Amino acid sequence: MLVALEPYVQFALKAMAREATYRFEVFTSIGSLAVRVYLLRVVWVALYARNAAPHGVELHAIITYSAVALLMGMILDIDQTSLLHDKLHDGSIVVDFMKPISVPFYLFADGTGEVLFHAALIVPSLALALLIVHIDVPSVTVFGAFIVSFFLAYFVGFFLNFTLNCIAFWTLEISAVQLMLTWVTDLLGGGIVPLLFFPAGIQQAIVALPFASMFSTPLLIYIGEIKPEQYAQYMGLQLLWIAVLAVVATVIWRAGARRVIVQGG
Amino acid sequence: MLEVYRQYWRINLLTTLEYRTNFLLWFGFTIVYHATAIVALWVMLTTFPSMNGWDFRNMAFLYGLWMTGHALNATFFSTIGEIPQWIRDGEFDRLLVRPLDELFQVISTPGAIFPDELILAIAFLVVAIAANHLVVTAGFVALVALVVTGGALIDLSIALLISTVAFWFVQVDALRWIVLQLEQEFTRYPLSIYGKGVRLLLAFVIPFGFMNYFPASYFLHKTDNGLGLPLAVGMLTPAIGVVFLIVAYLCWRLGLQRYQGVGH
Repeated sequence: MLVALEPYVQFALKAMAREATYRFEVFTSIGSLAVRVYLLRVVWVALYARNAAPHGVELHAIITYSAVALLMGMILDIDQTSLLHDKLHDGSIVVDFMKPISVPFYLFADGTGEVLFHAALIVPSLALALLIVHIDVPSVTVFGAFIVSFFLAYFVGFFLNFTLNCIAFWTLEISAVQLMLTWVTDLLGGGIVPLLFFPAGIQQAIVALPFASMFSTPLLIYIGEIKPEQYAQYMGLQLLWIAVLAVVATVIWRAGARRVIVQGG
Repeated sequence: MLEVYRQYWRINLLTTLEYRTNFLLWFGFTIVYHATAIVALWVMLTTFPSMNGWDFRNMAFLYGLWMTGHALNATFFSTIGEIPQWIRDGEFDRLLVRPLDELFQVISTPGAIFPDELILAIAFLVVAIAANHLVVTAGFVALVALVVTGGALIDLSIALLISTVAFWFVQVDALRWIVLQLEQEFTRYPLSIYGKGVRLLLAFVIPFGFMNYFPASYFLHKTDNGLGLPLAVGMLTPAIGVVFLIVAYLCWRLGLQRYQGVGH
C-alpha cells in the first residue's frame, strides 16, 4: 500500500514546490487578505452602527465569521484540479493516460500539494488579520468540529471543481466558468454575507444547493449558530453532497476520458 | 489615424462574431461578476435598513455610476493594462519603430472587444436612476454623462500611470492588483464608512471617490460627503478626470523617452 502511494506523495510535493515559485502570488494573497479584512470591518461596523443585531448575531460574531470566511477562502477558492484543464488544452493528458498511474488520483495529489502550500500561508495571514480585527476563539470541542466540517467542505469543493474541469473534455475553454463558480460559491455559500441574512424563501432554496456545505456550515459551527446537537445533521448533509458530487464527477470523468481529443492534432 | 481606428473596431466585432461561444461565456462572466456584487449589497441592505444613511437604491445608483465609468474605459482602453506584459516580452519595442503614436497603437491593438459590459452598465444605471426617483431633465442627463466620462478618464489615467511605472520597474502586477482592489471593492460602499486616511487616499491620491461617491452624494442630495466638502465638488469629476489624464500622459511621455528596452 505504501509503495503504491509513493508516486502520489511525490506529485503532491512537486505541486508544493511549484506553488512556492510564484512569489508574487504569495505576496498578493496575503496583501489581499489584509485589505479585505479591513474592508469587512468597516462595512459591518457601519451596518451595525445605527441598527440592532439581526437574528441575534452580534457584531463581534459577524466580524469573526467574515474574517474566518476569508481565511477559509484562501483554500476553498483554489481550483485544485485546474491542472486537468491545462492538460486538456495542450494535449499532454494523453501522455498521463499512458503512465501506470490513476489520473484522477494524480490530479487529487497535485491539488492537495497546491492547497497545502496555500494552507501554510494562513499563518502569516491570520497574524496580519489579528492586527486589524478581533477574532473570537471558540472552545476546543467547537473548534474541533469546525476543523472536521472544513475538511468535509474541502472535499465538496474538490468534487465540484473536478466536475467542472471535466467539462473541458467537451468545450476546452472553461476559465470564465471557473471564475463564475468561485464567485457563486462565495455568495451562495455564505462566504460574503451569512445565509441567515438572506430573505427566508431564497435562503431555503440556497441551503438546498451544495455551496452552503462549503462556507456556511463550518462557519456557523465556528460562531456557535449551529449547536453541538445539530452537528450530525449538518455534517451528514456535507457527507451526502460529497457522495452525490463524487458520483457525478466519476460519471463525467469516465465519459470524458473515453473521448479525449487533442486540440490542434 | 481615424481609418486605422475604424478598421480596429471592425476586426474586434468580427472576431467577436467568429468566437460566439467564447463571447457568450465572457458575457455570462460579466453578468455574474456584477450580479454577485449587487446581490451581496442587496442582502446586506435588506437585513439592515441603511449604511451611513445610504439604502439599497442609493447604493445601486452608486454602483451604477462606477460600473458605467469603468465599463466605458474597459471598452475603449482595456489594452492599456497589457503594456507591462508587452514590455516584459519585448513586444512593446515593435511599436516604437512604427510611424504612429505609441499610445494610439496600444489603444488600437485588436482583440475580441465588444461593448457588452457598457450596454449592461447603462441599462443598470437607468434602472437605478428610476428607482431613486431622480428628476430626469436634459441637464441631469448631461451631468450624468459628463460624470461617467470623467469617471472613465480617472480609471484610464490610473491604468496608464500604473503601466508607465513598468518603464522603470518591470514587475508592476502587485501595484496594479492593489489599486484594482481599491477600485472594485472600495467603491461599492459610501466613502464615509472608511477611516480618514483611506477617505483622503480615495479622494485625492487615487481619486476613485470621484468616479461615483462624490457625484452620487450630489445627485442624491445627501447631507454630507464624508470629508465635509460642499456637495458640489461631486461635479468636479470631469475636470479631475482631464487633469489626471494630462498628468498621466506627461508621465507616460517621460517614461517613453527614458525607455531603453528590457534587454532582449
